Amino acid sequence: MVEWTERRPPEGEYRMLDADGQLDGDPPELDDDELLAMYRTMVATRTLEDKMLNMQRSGEASLVARSRGEEATPLGCAAALAPDDWIFYTYRQNPALLYWEYPMAEIVAGDMGAEPQTVAEHLDTDEPDVNFSPDYTPVGVNTTNAVGMAMADKFNDNETVTMVFVGDGSTSEGSFHDAMNFAGVFEPPVVIVCQNNQWAISEPSHRQTGAETFAKKAEAYGVPHERVDGNDVFAVRETAEEAVERARNGDGPTFIECVTYRMEEHNTSDNPDVYRDDSEQRDEWEEKDPLARYETYLREEDVLDDDLADDVQADVDEQVSEAVAAAREVPDSEPERMFDYQIHDTPWNHAHQRAELEREQNGENPFTDFTGEGFDE
Amino acid sequence: MSETYPAPASDHDADETDEIDLVTAVNQTLDQEMARNDSVRLMGYDIGPIGGVYRATEGLLEEYGNERVIDTPLSENGIIGTAVGMAMAGERVVPEIQFMGFSYPAFGQIMYALVKMYDRTGGDIEVPLTVRMAYGGGVKALEYHQESTEAYYLHTPGIRVVCPSTPYQAKGLLTASIRHDDPVLFMEPKKIYRGGSQPVPTEEYTLPLDAARLVREGEDVTVLTWGAMVRHAVAASETVDADVEVVDIRSLSPLDVETILESVKKTGRCVVVHEARRTLGLGAELSALVNEYALDRLKAPVKRATGYDVHFPSHDIEDDYLPDEERAQYAIEAVMNYEF
Ligand SMILES: Cc1ncc(C[n+]2csc(CCOP(=O)(O)OP(=O)(O)O)c2C)c(N)n1
Ligand SMILES: [Mg+2]
Repeated sequence: MVEWTERRPPEGEYRMLDADGQLDGDPPELDDDELLAMYRTMVATRTLEDKMLNMQRSGEASLVARSRGEEATPLGCAAALAPDDWIFYTYRQNPALLYWEYPMAEIVAGDMGAEPQTVAEHLDTDEPDVNFSPDYTPVGVNTTNAVGMAMADKFNDNETVTMVFVGDGSTSEGSFHDAMNFAGVFEPPVVIVCQNNQWAISEPSHRQTGAETFAKKAEAYGVPHERVDGNDVFAVRETAEEAVERARNGDGPTFIECVTYRMEEHNTSDNPDVYRDDSEQRDEWEEKDPLARYETYLREEDVLDDDLADDVQADVDEQVSEAVAAAREVPDSEPERMFDYQIHDTPWNHAHQRAELEREQNGENPFTDFTGEGFDE
Repeated sequence: MSETYPAPASDHDADETDEIDLVTAVNQTLDQEMARNDSVRLMGYDIGPIGGVYRATEGLLEEYGNERVIDTPLSENGIIGTAVGMAMAGERVVPEIQFMGFSYPAFGQIMYALVKMYDRTGGDIEVPLTVRMAYGGGVKALEYHQESTEAYYLHTPGIRVVCPSTPYQAKGLLTASIRHDDPVLFMEPKKIYRGGSQPVPTEEYTLPLDAARLVREGEDVTVLTWGAMVRHAVAASETVDADVEVVDIRSLSPLDVETILESVKKTGRCVVVHEARRTLGLGAELSALVNEYALDRLKAPVKRATGYDVHFPSHDIEDDYLPDEERAQYAIEAVMNYEF
């Protein structure tokens, strides 16, 4: 195995809550309900992702990506938004979805490989208050789209703010550079968050940039930037709130680098033991765990005790079981659904191929039309 | 699921063979070519310590070091663009694009530089890149991980497109591609990366980059196919009530038109099986060639058993999308039963 881990990102990012859960400076202006809502989101994320991991192992889900140890970043950022704002996300931001009560059953059904229309039709779910883009598979692409959406909001004098998440590796894609460049030129109300977990599958983050930090990349684009401890939910939230406020006040984009660590596999098709020997680094990051740190703080502030923690876990367990049960009820799609939503019409080739598919499904030969006018029996 | 392949062509009397699968054949070939020629360099993300997400480059970083096996930032356009520049300096670069569906960010460098340089410089500058990409469906992966969109590249002059269907083919074709002075897009059928082993000569060998391969001789109908679909065509030919000739196109661009027409003129019937969408897939060109040059021999119109003209669907219905033995069989039966 090759030593990949020798270069470390510089320390010195903005932090409020240290690894021991001790607060440095003024307490955040959040009431107990809000503090507990964030706690619950972290617990729910872990519970859901562990459940999905088991479902993947038993063959029920095909591919699962976890955000374990990175929860404070998507959570703190998403919590800074207001209803009607937009979030452009990837597979690594489950906490952002769960904070805004994105239907858990939809997340599970998606991981089980169901067609989105089928999921939408079979799950009776409420729309979250914040808008979510689809979760893009090709990386980097979401950043440019998010900037464009924010540009439209600026031109239309809307108060909406758009937030987009991008991995450290994905900042290497051209789409990311275009996003930053357009954001710098047009100054739209967008917050671009780099969730720097220091790995992109097998590539360490120092393979993605020669810059000392990811935050510095924003400098050349003329985009204001911040760098925070991505495992400190207070620091992340405060920084994101400032960025959101600036955006809403018409003061343009912000780039936030949240420094965290990918504790687990990239996703379930990956085995990190093959390429990283990071036990030392992992131990360090384990001590900086965002949930443990936050929980210590809540207990010391008497916001949380054992009974309440048990209640939260029991409540989350129930929510997860209900979501899984609902997702399991989503039937396989009708094969013909693959022709839906291609364009707003049914052109000849679609009508014809759909008929072929139906015939094939019925055990009839689909290739007996030799005139373009119909199938011979 | 294991599958056996016919023994290598008898004209290859190798002393020593290894029983290996397709991805291992790719790995072995890269190793041999790197040992043979110091200017062969691999580029891509996740090709180093992890050895590729499909392990096609496993062990090569350790053997050749990080200036021969170059782990890059996560940018397809960056990979192709810098690989072209290195090739202009005389290197023989073999970039990997992890999935064909992620070649699109590199479209700019492919279209503007890779395929154009030779023409642009009146033949002065060669760009002998072999761009490896895993393609094809049936592996229950996320969107853009199952693409078969070779048509974009077949439509483009200045690049060869090659696709093996067995471990033996993979080694011979990849060796030839790397040694060739044209850019080659080398499509690796990921569905059958580990879909079965066959004896592959341990020594180096090349296979022609301009010749189709007769997989099975027959008199009644020609099936034109390639990559992961060859096995379905062969399986179908064994169950239908007809004497089927199966041609593995293997060089998708340029096409071995002579072999194709010769076969169709002999049988008088033609079926194309490909997993790409039908409209303007290679089947369209094959059908056009047959109609232009063999019409008077045809006993039936050409039929295309293909994927449908839609985005690759989600897992629950991907098997309904992909052509298989049954769809190939239907197409063969349809042309066999046709009467003018
Ligand atoms: C355009 C494109 N190229 C390649 C991939 C394959 N891929 C998926 S995730 C990933 C790594 C992303 O790393 P990073 O941006 O750091 O995000 P993380 O997974 O660490 O959250 C790669 C290479 C892809 N999805 N899209
Ligand atoms: Mg990362």
